[in-house]
Amino acid sequence: MTIKNSPIVQSNHVIEIRPSGQKNSTKIKDRIFQTVVLIWFSLFALVIIYPIIWLGLSGLKSNSDFFLNTWKLPEEWIWSNYQAAWDAGIGQFFFNSVFVTLVSVLVVLVLGSMAAYGLSRFQFKGQNLLLVLILSGLMLAPQVSLIPLYKLLQGLGLYNTYWAMILPYVAFQLPFSIFLMRSYFLSIPRELEESAIIDGCNSWKVYRHIIVPMGKPIITSCALLTGMNVWNEFMFALVFVEDSSLRTIPVGLMNLRSQLNTNFGIQLAGLAISALPMIIAYILFQKQFVRGLTAGSVKG
Amino acid sequence: MKRKAGFILAVMLMMSLLVAGCSSSSSTKEEESGKVVLKFLHKWPQPEFAPYFEDVVKEFEKENPDIKIKMEAVADEPMKDKLRVILGGNEIPDVMFSWSGEFARKFVRAGAALDLTPYLNEDTAWKENFIPASLQPFVSDGKNYGIPLRFNGKFFVYNKKIFDKYNLQAPKTWDEFLQVLDTLKKGGETPIILGNQDPWPAIHYLTGLNQKLVPQDVRMKDYNPKTGEFTDPGYVKAMEMLADLNKKGYFMKNVNSSSHDMASQLFFAGKGAIFYLELEEFAEAEKNMKGNWGFFPMPAITDGKGNQNYITGAPDGFIVSSKTKHPKEAIKFLKFLTSKENALKLVKEIGWPSPIEGATNPDTALKEVAEGVDYMKKAEGMAEWLDTDVNAKVADVYLSNIQLLLDGSKTPEQVIKQVQKVAKQIQSEAD
Amino acid sequence: MIKTFQNRRTAVLYIVPALLFILLFVFLPIILNLYNSLFRWNSFDAERTFVGLEYYGRLFKDPVFFTALKNNSLYAIASLVFQVGAGLIIAAILEDKLIRKFQPFFRTVFFLPSVISIAVVGLVWQLLYNPEVGLVNGVLKAIGQEEWARSWLGDSDVAIYAVVAVSQWQYTGYMVMLFLIAMQKIPNEYYEAAMIDGASKIKTFFHVTVPQIKEMILVGSVITVIGAFKVFDEVYVMTSGGPGRSTEVLGTMLYRSAFRNDEMGYASTIGTIVFVITLTLSLIQMKLGKSGQEV
Repeated sequence: MTIKNSPIVQSNHVIEIRPSGQKNSTKIKDRIFQTVVLIWFSLFALVIIYPIIWLGLSGLKSNSDFFLNTWKLPEEWIWSNYQAAWDAGIGQFFFNSVFVTLVSVLVVLVLGSMAAYGLSRFQFKGQNLLLVLILSGLMLAPQVSLIPLYKLLQGLGLYNTYWAMILPYVAFQLPFSIFLMRSYFLSIPRELEESAIIDGCNSWKVYRHIIVPMGKPIITSCALLTGMNVWNEFMFALVFVEDSSLRTIPVGLMNLRSQLNTNFGIQLAGLAISALPMIIAYILFQKQFVRGLTAGSVKG
Repeated sequence: MKRKAGFILAVMLMMSLLVAGCSSSSSTKEEESGKVVLKFLHKWPQPEFAPYFEDVVKEFEKENPDIKIKMEAVADEPMKDKLRVILGGNEIPDVMFSWSGEFARKFVRAGAALDLTPYLNEDTAWKENFIPASLQPFVSDGKNYGIPLRFNGKFFVYNKKIFDKYNLQAPKTWDEFLQVLDTLKKGGETPIILGNQDPWPAIHYLTGLNQKLVPQDVRMKDYNPKTGEFTDPGYVKAMEMLADLNKKGYFMKNVNSSSHDMASQLFFAGKGAIFYLELEEFAEAEKNMKGNWGFFPMPAITDGKGNQNYITGAPDGFIVSSKTKHPKEAIKFLKFLTSKENALKLVKEIGWPSPIEGATNPDTALKEVAEGVDYMKKAEGMAEWLDTDVNAKVADVYLSNIQLLLDGSKTPEQVIKQVQKVAKQIQSEAD
Repeated sequence: MIKTFQNRRTAVLYIVPALLFILLFVFLPIILNLYNSLFRWNSFDAERTFVGLEYYGRLFKDPVFFTALKNNSLYAIASLVFQVGAGLIIAAILEDKLIRKFQPFFRTVFFLPSVISIAVVGLVWQLLYNPEVGLVNGVLKAIGQEEWARSWLGDSDVAIYAVVAVSQWQYTGYMVMLFLIAMQKIPNEYYEAAMIDGASKIKTFFHVTVPQIKEMILVGSVITVIGAFKVFDEVYVMTSGGPGRSTEVLGTMLYRSAFRNDEMGYASTIGTIVFVITLTLSLIQMKLGKSGQEV
């Protein structure tokens, strides 16, 4: 596998090699190309950023301000909207989302890395079958499971608990994580493990002390991907819990909409609050996120 | 052997997860320190209304220290799904919200709702407290299954300033109504505000139109899932009249993409002349328009085959789960909720019309709300909400097609044909 | 190979916990779903009536099913064109040496919407599409194209396009990121060689970039196409299938049947069909993947 130093990880400019005769005309062409592309991309970026900023600003408006001056800056910056949204339930939903996401991510990482280790290092009969079985979980649509799981969770006495969300989340997130981690683990050189085993380590120790530390980049990427999906999941959270004290943010927001039907400012403040953590997490961790994926997923 | 220890650890982790899951679920059922825990589900999480329920529950718990109420609230639109999701579960609330009519009867047929008749007969004082017309819609096969909390009616509210500008009076007949609309339209006003993004507001028009155009006995037969056919020409006529209002440009533009709440804001801001509102929303209207409004019931349709002295509206209230372990406590709580004292508080604090005899009067309530309740008491009957008074699947055909009717992509005949087809299918399944 | 790694029992022990989760919560429900689809039942009634394959017959006569199928396919096509097609082009341009210094900024911005919950995105766009106060019509008015203004989510002719457009807004940046990651593994020498040959940008794109990352393109196409048949949240949040049934997709149709119309059996039937569709698509993908390797 050849991995070029990528500009995502560190900037690395290509040395320009160009026949000198065409230089001038190419330069003009390049200029035009650059300008056109920059205009296009800037417009696209504006289309993306504007609604997000609008959301944050509208959360500061009073109702009539929102209706009459929808696209202007707030007349009066009502920061208390954010407080009100938090108190109206976002606070509780936020805690629930954090808890459900953390536990799900943790279980996915532990079980996923173990399975990926088992599938990438061991040689045994039926290995391919197991691999196909796990990876085919990638393709299945969650709504197929919606009704059976609803009944199953009731049967297990887990309905309307945090676990009614966590267990299905783990199951649906595992295949992709195993897929990513397995291909990364395959790329970890084996010499270290071999010498460790000669020194008397068992397979568990190899996993704990070699695979997990060396696999950190992909484990981080998986944590972010899983976290993102779990944080934003909607359908299972809608059906598998009923107490408002257990609701996660996406479903809580829908309820908040019908609950605060007459105050758009607070509603939008609530939306802004729930979007923020993922935006911050992404901006903070994007380097690690990209590094893990660059090195792992698809072999070059 | 250390390797095995690791696996045992992992397995134990999983087990502990499952066990923790189980224990946390049973803890909600747990009756802490010998207290009876009642789960109570209502429909008003809005900050305007929720405090009333919190107060009443607190008061009840103070009077009954051995009962604890675990309150939960889901708003109107999600309630329709949520109630079904919950009733399929194993943690059914003891006391829960329900609309009257077929919506409640379906739960009755499935044996999910407790028969409340003995409790009402046992305490005649409680029973006689209710305006009779408010208990009736919760009756199925002669038995009471629900206790009303509100007695809701639907009326056309108008902007007085705009009406005065064109010298208009509240219309008594549909023809007068059309004339009023025409004058408004010609004057450049938006005659009617309607927010039909969630399609129930237009269904409320149809509720009244169906009732006024179809003979009572035929309509009752059709609304019963076992005998429904919907072949009376009145159903098509009702849809045509609704579609006409739109075709003639009496409704505001883009009815399908504004929500009812957004439409309310527009009306309160004076952007339209007429708005079809429920009694429970009158307080909000007064708050925003400060006396600059009046109301009238849906005008009579001269050649309509239905009874013209009906009012559109229905009570909504609570049913008790048939699986409740504490029926006595649940009834006690319902009696508390519907006591005269709390009914007065309900009328005063949140301005809702109460089904308790004498609770909604000009002293306690807004003048208009009291008048509205009078209309309902004097009426010969109620046209209950079409979307909760017929089988869910018929309601679904109505609800989803009413938007298509209003954006012109379907004709009344096409919609009714589909209603008939679904009604037939339901009949075959009921056998 | 070392002996430690040939112990089958140990290997299985590592895999079993994850496998159990997947079997119990992903595979078992598929079988239960098939069984459930043979009965008429609802969530709150203990009674079940065996109806055999009746629901399957009804489904194939239900016009809403075909609307949903059409909408899901529209989702798939639009996602292929915008997320895979446009995403690929955008990624290639971002990798161009003239643009590369702006790459970190654009890459971050483009990816941003995909980290936001669909519930939030849906609720925001519902307001942006609002004909009275929404930005979309406001912009059209500002650039003098008022006749294009629509009641976007309230008009059954355009609502589904409006909903699909939001998904493209949200996820194109995600695919751009995946393609960038794949492109950065292409050895520099290939580009240098192309440059010395005097190949144009477009030629380089088709002869170097695309063949080098074709595996990622395939994976991306599969993710988006299968994803198009898993759609639920955005439709539920923005239109819940309306106006009429014009934006219904299989996911919302299933939910509506189960929890609004009290037909759990019918909902399970839809579930089974979704399973068959995604399974077929996966099999096609595997076949394509194999032939791709052979080439």
